[in-house]
Amino acid sequence: MSPNVSLASIVRSEWLKFRSVRSSIMGVTITFVLTIGLGALVTSLLRAHWATASESSKLTFDPVSTSLVGVIFAQFAIGVIGALFITSEYSSGSIRTTLAAVPHRVELVLGKLTVLLVSMFVISEVACFATFILGQSIFSGVVPTASLSNSNDLRAVILAGVYLTLAAAMACGIGLILRHSAASISVFVSVILVIPLIFAFLPQSWQNDGAKYLPSELGHAMTSASSVANDFSAWTALILMVIYVVVIVGIGTALFARRDA
Amino acid sequence: MIKVEHLTKRYEHTTAVDDLDFEVRPGVVTGFLGPNGSGKSTTMRVILGLDHPTKGRALVKGKPYAQLRDPLHEVGALLDAKAIHPGRTARNHLRALAASNRIPYSRVDDVLEFAGIASVANKKVGNFSLGMSQRLGIAGALLGDPEVLLFDEPVNGLDPEGIRWIRDFFRSLANEGRTVFVSSHLMSEMAVSADQIIVIGRGKFITQGSIDTLTATAKGTVFVRASDHARLERALTDHEALVTDANDEGLTVSNLSAEEVGKIAFDAGIVVFELTPQRASLEDVFMDLTSDAVEYGSSGVRRES
Repeated sequence: MSPNVSLASIVRSEWLKFRSVRSSIMGVTITFVLTIGLGALVTSLLRAHWATASESSKLTFDPVSTSLVGVIFAQFAIGVIGALFITSEYSSGSIRTTLAAVPHRVELVLGKLTVLLVSMFVISEVACFATFILGQSIFSGVVPTASLSNSNDLRAVILAGVYLTLAAAMACGIGLILRHSAASISVFVSVILVIPLIFAFLPQSWQNDGAKYLPSELGHAMTSASSVANDFSAWTALILMVIYVVVIVGIGTALFARRDA
Repeated sequence: MIKVEHLTKRYEHTTAVDDLDFEVRPGVVTGFLGPNGSGKSTTMRVILGLDHPTKGRALVKGKPYAQLRDPLHEVGALLDAKAIHPGRTARNHLRALAASNRIPYSRVDDVLEFAGIASVANKKVGNFSLGMSQRLGIAGALLGDPEVLLFDEPVNGLDPEGIRWIRDFFRSLANEGRTVFVSSHLMSEMAVSADQIIVIGRGKFITQGSIDTLTATAKGTVFVRASDHARLERALTDHEALVTDANDEGLTVSNLSAEEVGKIAFDAGIVVFELTPQRASLEDVFMDLTSDAVEYGSSGVRRES
């Protein structure tokens, strides 16, 4: 590694690149709006109709995952941020300028990932804690509430932010492999949204055994305070999600190092 | 210094560069000349480590680009002026480049000023004209004050003032002892801006030398207008002259000097009204050199490659 180009200098450069384009600002804003806004909407509706809710739905009610419902939508906004993080370099052609300045390709990916993971982690955690606290305050007095002093509830909120961060990294890895914005976003959405829909048509036993491996189901397990039927435990789900990300980003990085820019 | 050693670059079905071998020396402006699609940009991409060679290698200061210790301090390059994220401002684009190589931000303002785009530094690059983008690209190439500079078709989109500015600028970079490697598909541009020229066509090396040696090797013609064209033509062909064009206006001779044509006319007792050596233009030389190597000829039919 050269004296002037280092992981620290790459991180500084990539951070400046990330915050100096409008698509990043918009992506982050949409992530906040979807997470907190949808959380507020759903929790308000639940509060308004709580009196007329059935006994069975009251029994299975989970105030944690309900207040975190916006995460399901925010993962698409954050996936777009992750994919564009690399594919915008290809659509604009700036990847060549970037690689002329930083020809050390593996280090470049590490630098980009560092910026993406740290910024998305901070943003996701802020959004998840905000929607949780807001949701519980909306529930308060009418609907049963959860509390951050409960370790399972706290774990669910923290892992919701971690899940979003990992989703961004997964989309970035897909972007490294496909090098094309629209294609990468489509594949990411397919993995999160379409494959679970296909699973719904499979025999029940397949669903029970297989669906739990889907990233969206891992996210469900990670963001629920209590264990979900037919899902892995939250921590196992986290480990599996990390493995997915490492494999996809690893393949993407290997291709990135080998291919012509 | 740039060294390209038996470089071959094949894409799926085409050979973009075929066994290229040349050296670019410091202290002079070296032109890299070839028709569109002849492999100039591919060669430059391989030199910058962006594309991997199929065979052979390209070295900058004795090393493959990826092994350079300080890329922007050692090599400055402008490949495609429009290849910049359109949503970023010129200043932020340069700052991001500077940050990656630990170049102080004050240098960004210096090169913006030098390239004449300081007044639009905070404007988004997407709104730039091609000429402004070229200037931004040049500013980027200068960021690290590099010893080796590569420019791919830098004149494209520049106005006459910009073209003159860039010529003087290449010259001054070379005078400072730097290696300046400039590609173009315009021979006339190279004639005024480059000292040395490397000509390629269809990815193959054609020739290399100074502008003067290249034009000297090209065949000139002599135009002669005389009292009796028919008799002069016979006299000339008796001396094994090659008359390429004969009409009422006069004769064009391609393998004799003006002196020789004058002597033959004098010996034959023919009055000469006009005797003009016609030096081959640089375009002629270029067309001559690359006529077999034009990827996209104006016949409209793409030849097999």
